[in-house]
Amino acid sequence: VVPGETALAFYKAKNPTDKPIIGISTYNVIPFEAGQYFNKIQCFCFEEQRLNPQEEVDMPVFFYIDPDFVEDPKMAKVDLITLSYTFFEAKEGQKLPLPGY
Amino acid sequence: MSTAMNFSSKTFTPRPPDKGAFPLDHFGECSAFKEQFMECLRHSGYESAACRQRAMAYLECRMDRRVAQLMANEPLEKLGFKDLIKEKSDEKPDKS
Repeated sequence: VVPGETALAFYKAKNPTDKPIIGISTYNVIPFEAGQYFNKIQCFCFEEQRLNPQEEVDMPVFFYIDPDFVEDPKMAKVDLITLSYTFFEAKEGQKLPLPGY
Repeated sequence: MSTAMNFSSKTFTPRPPDKGAFPLDHFGECSAFKEQFMECLRHSGYESAACRQRAMAYLECRMDRRVAQLMANEPLEKLGFKDLIKEKSDEKPDKS
């Protein structure tokens, strides 16, 4: 990807059980310092998503890397940024504490 | 949260997306567009810039869905596809 250019990426999730699952996901960016330059325009995260038994869905993320990334001397050696998502099962009535949301 | 003086804090603070969440495409209505996009990425050695036309097509598919809105209608220029739109409108007169 080129900083400043919008990009699309896909993840895939599958519910291998025979019961519907309601999940919510959060993300992480490595290296840590690159996280501030990672901007999500739209994604599947932060909201509960329901996966039916055996269902497999594509999960898109539409994002861009802030163009200021190229100006930051700390980022000069960074040529790989890894975005990862973790899905948690949402429990009935439980409000997930999402810092900064 | 800890005080602002904690410069060495390594906790990552997730930020919500600018335009909210994508509803899941449970029926795979836009899967064909996604497949075309992924095929393009594989052929281009995963150069995102080479596949922007197909990425745009995928997002257009999401916006076009009448049955279940998979994406709020947003002018494509605002999603970083301004240059591709211009190409499209330049091309149109030649198409017969």
